[in-house]
Parts: sequence; C-alpha cells; structure tokens
Amino acid sequence: MKWAAVLGITTILVIITLREWPKLRPEMKREKAAFAILTILDGTLAFLLVFYPDLPGPTQGLDAMTKPLVKFFGNLMAEWSG
Amino acid sequence: MEKTKRKTVPLLLALSLCTFWLAGCWDQTEVNDLAIITAAGLDLTEDHQLELSIKINVTSSSGAQQMGGSSDPSGGGGGQSIVRSVKGKNMADAASKLQQVMTRKVFWGQDEVFIFGERLAKEGLSEPMNFLLRHPGPRERANLFVSKGSAKAVLELDPPVERSVADALRSMAKERTGLNITMKELAQMMTGKANAAVIPLVEIKHTQKPQDSFPFIHGTAILKNGKMIGRMNAAATRGILWLRNEINRATVTVSPKNSEGTVSVQLLRGQTKLVPHIHGDDWAITAQIDAQDDIIENTTDLDLTNPQHIEVLKSELQADINRRVRTALTQAQKKMKADIFQFADAFYRQYPKEWNRNKGRWDEIYPKVEVRLQTNVKIGKSGLIGQNLF
Amino acid sequence: MVESGKISASQAGKLLYLTVIPTAILTSPAMIFKVAKQDLWISPILAWSGLITVFIALRLHRMFPGENIIQAGERIIGKFLGKMVGLIFPLFYLYLNGIVVREYGEFVVGALLVNTPLIVVLGSMVLVCAIVVRGGIEIVGRFAELFLPAFITLFLLIIVPILPDLNISNMLPVMGEGIAPSLAGTFVLQLWFSEFITYSFILPFVTDQKNAAKSIMFALGAVILTLVVSNLATLLLLGGLTGDYAYPFLILARYINLAEFFTHLESLFMAIWVLGAFVKICAFFYVTVLSAAQWMNLSDYKPIVYPLGFLLILVSLWVAPNYQEMTRAISTSVNLSIFTVFVAIPVLLFGLACVKKAVHKNKNRR
Repeated sequence: MKWAAVLGITTILVIITLREWPKLRPEMKREKAAFAILTILDGTLAFLLVFYPDLPGPTQGLDAMTKPLVKFFGNLMAEWSG
Repeated sequence: MEKTKRKTVPLLLALSLCTFWLAGCWDQTEVNDLAIITAAGLDLTEDHQLELSIKINVTSSSGAQQMGGSSDPSGGGGGQSIVRSVKGKNMADAASKLQQVMTRKVFWGQDEVFIFGERLAKEGLSEPMNFLLRHPGPRERANLFVSKGSAKAVLELDPPVERSVADALRSMAKERTGLNITMKELAQMMTGKANAAVIPLVEIKHTQKPQDSFPFIHGTAILKNGKMIGRMNAAATRGILWLRNEINRATVTVSPKNSEGTVSVQLLRGQTKLVPHIHGDDWAITAQIDAQDDIIENTTDLDLTNPQHIEVLKSELQADINRRVRTALTQAQKKMKADIFQFADAFYRQYPKEWNRNKGRWDEIYPKVEVRLQTNVKIGKSGLIGQNLF
Repeated sequence: MVESGKISASQAGKLLYLTVIPTAILTSPAMIFKVAKQDLWISPILAWSGLITVFIALRLHRMFPGENIIQAGERIIGKFLGKMVGLIFPLFYLYLNGIVVREYGEFVVGALLVNTPLIVVLGSMVLVCAIVVRGGIEIVGRFAELFLPAFITLFLLIIVPILPDLNISNMLPVMGEGIAPSLAGTFVLQLWFSEFITYSFILPFVTDQKNAAKSIMFALGAVILTLVVSNLATLLLLGGLTGDYAYPFLILARYINLAEFFTHLESLFMAIWVLGAFVKICAFFYVTVLSAAQWMNLSDYKPIVYPLGFLLILVSLWVAPNYQEMTRAISTSVNLSIFTVFVAIPVLLFGLACVKKAVHKNKNRR
C-alpha cells in the first residue's frame, strides 16, 4: 500500500513536471529553480508523510508558539461568557 | 481541421473518463439495494438488552411484484412491509447487527417514526437519543412516541387506512389531538433548563379481526432527567397542550348550569403565553390563555344569539379549560415534580440574573411556583341556527 | 508585474464576500454559541476585526498605490525585514488554506460521501482550484461573480422555508448577561473577519479604484448581514442545542418541511458548501501563489501553481491527524495566529508607515 502511494506521488510529480517544464523558456532561470525546489520539496514531504504519518505538523508548531497566550485568552473568555 | 481532430479525441476520452467519477464510486447507492426503514422501535428485553425493531418497505426489483404476494403471506396490506428485529448491548451495537440480518443496505434517511417501549423509557432515553442524533441518517424531524407495552408490537400492526403504521402514527400526531414531538424537540427538552420532557403515548386498539388492530395516541409519557417517571391520561394531556401552547384542535362539550342539555364548541385557535414574575422568594407564572371557539351543537334552551347567554357559556368554557389545565398542573407540579411546561426557560428569559443565582435550586422552587390562569374565551360563529329548534 | 489581469471593484467585493462567508456559515454558530449563548447573533454586528483589516488594506493601498501589503511592508521596514515578514504571508495562507481544504473534505466525507477516501475529495477540489488560479485573477474574480447569485439563491432557499419552524422565544433574553458574552463571541468570529486583509492582495488589480472602498464596505456589510441571519436562524430553530451540533446550519436544511413535500434539502446545503469552499480555496490559493512568486521575484507565477497545489494537498492532510484535533486548534492556536498575522502585523506596519510619513513631513518642513 505504501509503495502504491509512493508510485502515485511520483507519477503525479512527473506529470506536473512534464506539463510545466517545456513551457519554461531557457532564459527563465529563477522560475526553473523555484519550480525545481518546490517539486523536490513536494516529493520529500509526501514521502515523509507516507512513511511517518505522525510527523509533527505545522499545527503543533503553532500550538507550541501560542501556548501561554492561548491559556491566557482561554481564561479571559471563560470569565467573560460566565 | 487536422488539429481540431487531434484535440477532440483526448477531450472525448477525458469526458468519458469523467463519467466514472460522476457515479461517486465509493458511495454509489441504488434504490433497489436499500432496505428503507419507515419506522423503528426500541425495546428493553428481560435480560437488559436493547431490541431494535424496524419496519421496512420492500422496494421490489422488477418482476418481483407478482412473486411478492405468494412468497410473503405475513403482511396485511399486500405484503409490502416487514418487521425485523435484533438485540444488542446498546443502540449502536443493535444498529450494526441489523445489517447482518438484512440482505440490503440499511437506509435510515426515510425513517420518520421512532417508538420507544415503555420499559426502555423508564430505564432512560439518553443512550439511544445519543446515537440517533449523532448518526447522520435519522432525521431531526422524525416523530417520537412511547408505546404502552412493546414497541415491536406497534410496528407489527398494519392499520387498514394508511399506507403503513408509520404514516398512521405521523398523521395522528399532526392532527394534534395529542402531542407532536420531534426528535429535535425531545433533544431540546432533555438538554434544556427544565430537564423534563413529554412524549406522546401510543396504545394499540385491538379489534376482533387482528389485522384491523390499529395504534392510537392516548395520553402522554412524562420524562424527567431522561427517564420516564409517569404518564398522564388523555384529559390531562389537553391541559399539557394548553400550557405548552400546542393546542390545535379540540371539541369541548359543556353542560351549562341552570339548563338542561349540552353545548359543544370547536376550538378555532388557542394561544397561551407564560408570563413569569419573581417577587423576592415568590416565583409565580401567569398563564394567559386565549381561545376562540365556534359553536357546533346546542341542545340547551340557551339562545346563543343573546349576548347574556353567550356570557354564561363563556364562563363555562373558561372553567372547563382551567379544570383541564389544573389537572395537568397538579400532576406534573405536585406529584411528578417534572417541569414539562418549560417554566424554567420562561423564568430564564424574563429574569436571567435571578435564574442564574437560583438555577441549582430549581427542583426545590418548581413545586412551589404559583400558577395563575387568565383564561379568556371568545365565541365566534354560532352556526346557522340560533336557538335549539327542537 | 507578475499579474497582468484586471478585475472590477464589484468583482473584488464579491470575491471577498465569498472568501469569508462559506466556512463561517458552516461552523461559526456552534463555536460562537459556546461563548455567547443566545446572543450569538449580536457578535457579527460587533465585528471590529473586519473593520480594522478593511481599513488597513485600503489605507495602505492609498499610501503605496499598486502594491499589496508585502510590497508595502518592504518599503516601510526595509528590504531585509520586509522579506522576512513577506515570507510569513505565503506560508500562513498556505497553512490556512490547508485547514479550509481539510474542513471542506471532512464535511463532504462526514456528511455525504461516507465511504469515499478523503484524499480523493481533497485532491479533486485542489486540482480544479489550481486550474482556475493558473488562469489568473480575472478567472478567479469571474468565478466569484458567477457563483454569488447561485450562492445567495441557495442560501435563501434554506432560510425562507425554515421560517415557519422558528421559535422567537429562543433568542430571549437579549443580552441577559450584558454585552460581555457577545463581545467574547467576536473573538471567535475574528477567525473569519480578519480574512478581509486578503483584499490588500486583490486591490492592486482593481481597475476602478474609486469604487474599491465602497464595494469592500458593501462586502463587509453583506458578510455581517448573512452571519446575523444564519446565526439567528440556527438559534431560533435549535435553541440550546445550537452548540451541540457540529454543523448547525446543515440541520436547518435537513429540518425544512414544506407541506410534507419539500423535504430532505441537505443537498442544497451541500451545493452551497461546495460553491463557497471552491471560491474560498481559489482566493487563498491565489494569494499564496502570488505572494510566493513575488517573494521569489519570479516573472510569472504560473509555473509554481501545480507544485504549490500539490503542497496544499499535503498540508491539508498534515495540519491535523483528525477532525477533532483540528477543531480544537482552530479555536485556540489558529485563532491566535490569524489574529497575529492578519491583524497585528498589518496594524504594526500601518502604524510604522504613519510615523514614517509624519517624520518625513517634519524633515521637509525644516
């Protein structure tokens, strides 16, 4: 099942590349770089998520960053709404 | 030309591929694969299991119609519907086991009637209600009933006039001679401030020919904290309807003092407003009841074109309504101590601050709430004749 | 210039309306009810966050014509800091859009297509949105214009037939506990009203700038009105149960019963939801793509649409392990970070810009 997912992800990324790459003119260096970096990022993240589905996500990051404030506002809201 | 052709082929291919998606692959459902539940009944068995019974309409696939009559002799109205039942630890368990005894996929979306057996109602309805509200299938508008005896027995009836027992019960509930409680309303009452609820009570009227037996709404089941704690008869139910402002149709017959015979009036419209007052520790409710009646029969010697006679009749009618309301009130307020008229909400709406201070004591306060009745009856048309001719 | 397309001010207003409203209708009644109780319909009227963000978007654009908040930010706090702040926006829009996509998917799967895998529902939606976004702001704007009448018609088709079932006494007592609960509700609502900052990214492409302010204020008013109506309708139907349902507005559609004939209308609501979510995802996705392209100084954003779309699907699956976890996050950390990115940062930037302008004026006078 996991290998099917890997195969699916690869197919989609290859299709995207095959569609977009020919449209990039040779002088569009920055665009080519941006496209390549994003696609590689896509692939890496996708494979990571396939093999480690419990990978800590952005929400956990936000949770950690906002923890004290959330606590503070939570108490405030509870007070306000009685 | 060549170029358009080259574009057309992939386009057509893509379009034809789309049709696969349109069927909704994973969730495709065909009507003739479904067991459409029209009514469900829940009972508590002797060994404390939940018995779920369902009434399904058989949607036969083509050609099965001729066979239906011969292969299924049980049903009364042409073998169109059958009853199946399963037992389980709780509602969800029973519901999942249901699929095991059905050849078709169980479909809850058309289930408009749920009947709870009296024993289950006494044990508590919170558990099955939790399932019914959570599951996306059952409708919030489905009618609820409590049956005297087992719910399964009610489902097994095939009342002669209506298409199915579900239709029969629903139309009776809608006529509002008794209560009409939907799933949403019960959930509101059970979670509301009053924490008491009412559900119409269904009884089976047995006739000589068993297939002509039919269910009818007779009285009300009173629930407190999700458990049935008592019942009221049909007369007291009228009082409940008045106080809950759900009265719809009624014919009242009174025999005025100082005259022989009776006058019958038909209720045109009735409305009740609950006005709460709090003075210190005295909590009181004024129920302003307004009714408009039409005279439909008069066998007394009163001349109902005469305003004075109308006044006599009015006070008789008011006394009659008050009597009914008082009956319901005494039973609910003094005996069962269940706030089925949602006085708690009325107090909260008018006096939120006082309510919040005293909400913990509501069980104490409620039996002491003084209820004043301001009943006002208007008499409209007196029909085509005035005095009794005979 | 990354974008060559232009849209009219009225299209921009409609786009913003459809960007803010769909998810608000779906979940806000239950979320506000938990804090504001029967005053939940007052909260949208006190929507300060909508006013602030709209005001800042308009004023910043007047100070720096033709530039969105990121470009203006680079002018205000310098190239380096500006780039740092500028990175927050595409990342945050991507994350937020991930949540929206997930909400869309969870709702469709939870209430309708129970057996369909989530990824199929998400994937097909993002694919369609990617195609639209690749077409540019003109296509996005036209879709908003096209879908708005359908959206409003469907909305009214749910509200009007439910009217006979509404019970006015459910809304009493009005402000029984003062204004504090409804004010607390606005902090829940700022989740949606703060999204009006998106206007800052659309504003540079508006042709008739003189109508821009009018059309956005109209959109804000329409959002408030719609939320008051939908919250009031759910409250009047469900009363104390409003907070107990995950999707109270869906129950409204399910409860409709006109003459025993016009029933089972949840598919109407599904249509509203798909239309609305589509425009919302498109708008957010467009802002992500545009601001990412500007951040990387690309000459065209089209090449990165599909890779970012793929990333969007990944993020939407990655934001939370399940729906419950996501709802919890939405009312806590996501709410707070939306406030930070969509309200606090723009307010800071705007404040600095004003100070800078004043200092500049003083210098000139000397």
